[in-house]
Amino acid sequence: MQVENILQELNLIFRDILDNDKISLSRTTTADDLEEWDSLTHIQLVVAIEKKFKIKFTAAEIQGWKNVGEMCDTLQNKLSPKT
Amino acid sequence: MLFNSFGFLVFFIVVTTLFFTIPNRFRWSLLLFASCFFYMFFKPEYILILAFTIVVDYFAGILIESAEGQKRKQFFLIMSLVANIGVLAVFKYYNFINDQVTGIARLLGYANHIPYLIWILPIGLSFHTFQAMSYTIEVYRGNQKSERHFGIYSLYVMFYPQLVSGPIERPQNMLHQFHEEKHFSYENLFYGLQRIIWGIFKKVVIADRLAMMVDYIYKDPYPWHGLPILLAVILFAFQIYCDFSGYSDIAVGTARVMGYKLMENFNYPFRSRNITEFWRRWHISLYSWFNDYLFTPVVINKRAWGSWGVVFALLVTFSISGLWHGANWTFILFGVLHGLAVSYEFLTKKYRKRWSKKLPVFLYGRLSILITFCYACITWIFFRSTSVHQAVYMLKNLFKTNANGQYFYLGVAEIRGLPSTYMGLPFWQFAGSLMLIPFLFFSEWLLSGDNMNRFRTFPVYLRWAAFYIIILSVLILGVFDTKQFIYFQF
Repeated sequence: MQVENILQELNLIFRDILDNDKISLSRTTTADDLEEWDSLTHIQLVVAIEKKFKIKFTAAEIQGWKNVGEMCDTLQNKLSPKT
Repeated sequence: MLFNSFGFLVFFIVVTTLFFTIPNRFRWSLLLFASCFFYMFFKPEYILILAFTIVVDYFAGILIESAEGQKRKQFFLIMSLVANIGVLAVFKYYNFINDQVTGIARLLGYANHIPYLIWILPIGLSFHTFQAMSYTIEVYRGNQKSERHFGIYSLYVMFYPQLVSGPIERPQNMLHQFHEEKHFSYENLFYGLQRIIWGIFKKVVIADRLAMMVDYIYKDPYPWHGLPILLAVILFAFQIYCDFSGYSDIAVGTARVMGYKLMENFNYPFRSRNITEFWRRWHISLYSWFNDYLFTPVVINKRAWGSWGVVFALLVTFSISGLWHGANWTFILFGVLHGLAVSYEFLTKKYRKRWSKKLPVFLYGRLSILITFCYACITWIFFRSTSVHQAVYMLKNLFKTNANGQYFYLGVAEIRGLPSTYMGLPFWQFAGSLMLIPFLFFSEWLLSGDNMNRFRTFPVYLRWAAFYIIILSVLILGVFDTKQFIYFQF
């Protein structure tokens, strides 16, 4: 899957979970940029992403993300793993 | 050494002056020596406990970083966590745990022969062990390089402005600062002194004056009903806020004078519109610690449970954070009540959002703030009470009348010739102390954001006048039997 598509898919998930149609994610978006994105909604986002893409993140991966871009990269690696 | 004591004033002036007169390469040893002195002022032999955890964590950090493979890294991390939590368990929770063992044994028909300990809780134990654990956890997570300089690592744990009651710092914020050369600046000096003076005012004038009325009721609440109970509960909210935020202001100010930037512990908590927001504004350093190191791992681990996984993680985190405050069921209940509130808010978010759109913004906002404040006050009944029984009594009698059907009765029955008192004080002192609360709101409004910048543009003589007035007020209105800070005991 292309990174742009991943970002678009994440945007839809964020809009749904955070209940805000105005969200427009970029690679540099962090929790500081979105009022509804806190440690409580974060896990709901993670679960929704895992469900949508049918993958599982490790605890270290989840705790390591600093922005949406890093989430996309981890997702990208999981969807098209380097052999 | 208490922050609100003359001894500390002398200590602070001497250390700060020396700090800027000696060459940079000796400054870490000056601060470390000063911090040891500061700590040993309480109970000198307890420095051995600090030394033990410092040595364990110093080596743990290096071993975690250099270990090959996740399992070995985990081993050293667990070694560090066990040492820190073990020290806490022994010095703080041993007797409480033994109490529960006695209770369970009795239920089963046995006697508990395990002896109780009579060790006094070391100063700042709950704070510096948490700060030390944050170091080893962050090294383990790869977010922080291990500190090889033993003196600087020791200083990270023992830095005197935050040693006793926080803010609980993170290695990413502090370690690099201890390696930097700090230059004297008038801006740091004045900002720091401002924070210190305002912190002292909040503690010595507001908190300690309110404490006189709060303690009067809480030391034996059973003769009281109605208004005195209600007032004690409400006033305690402002007492604990001024006490702890005052302490934090002094800590931040003291560090800032030397050029060190500590994190903020409070962000106008009484503006919170819900309990979830409250914990982002109250004792920020502790709750962000619990969020990062307990809540997050648990909620990630239990995410298959959906919303109930979040509720589980919240209840676990808040119960333990309640217990952090002290070895008593009252503190655990305090935590549980907050965990339940945050869980409730999480589960009903969409529903409450719909409600907020139905009511006028002005009303919904103000109502939210009021409800949040009331709930916090109720949880603080448990926090302040010495037993669950006492807390339940206070709760039941908030709105009850006394035996004569009176609700507003604040005084002791008149003894021949002696005047009645108002929650232990003469009327004018009682009324004056209550006026401190609107004064607090007004001052905080004055000191916030734009107003502070506007203040800085005032002519120098006006600004100095304001400082002199505050210092004079502290000297005249302050309570000077050097009451301990509330969070000292944690």
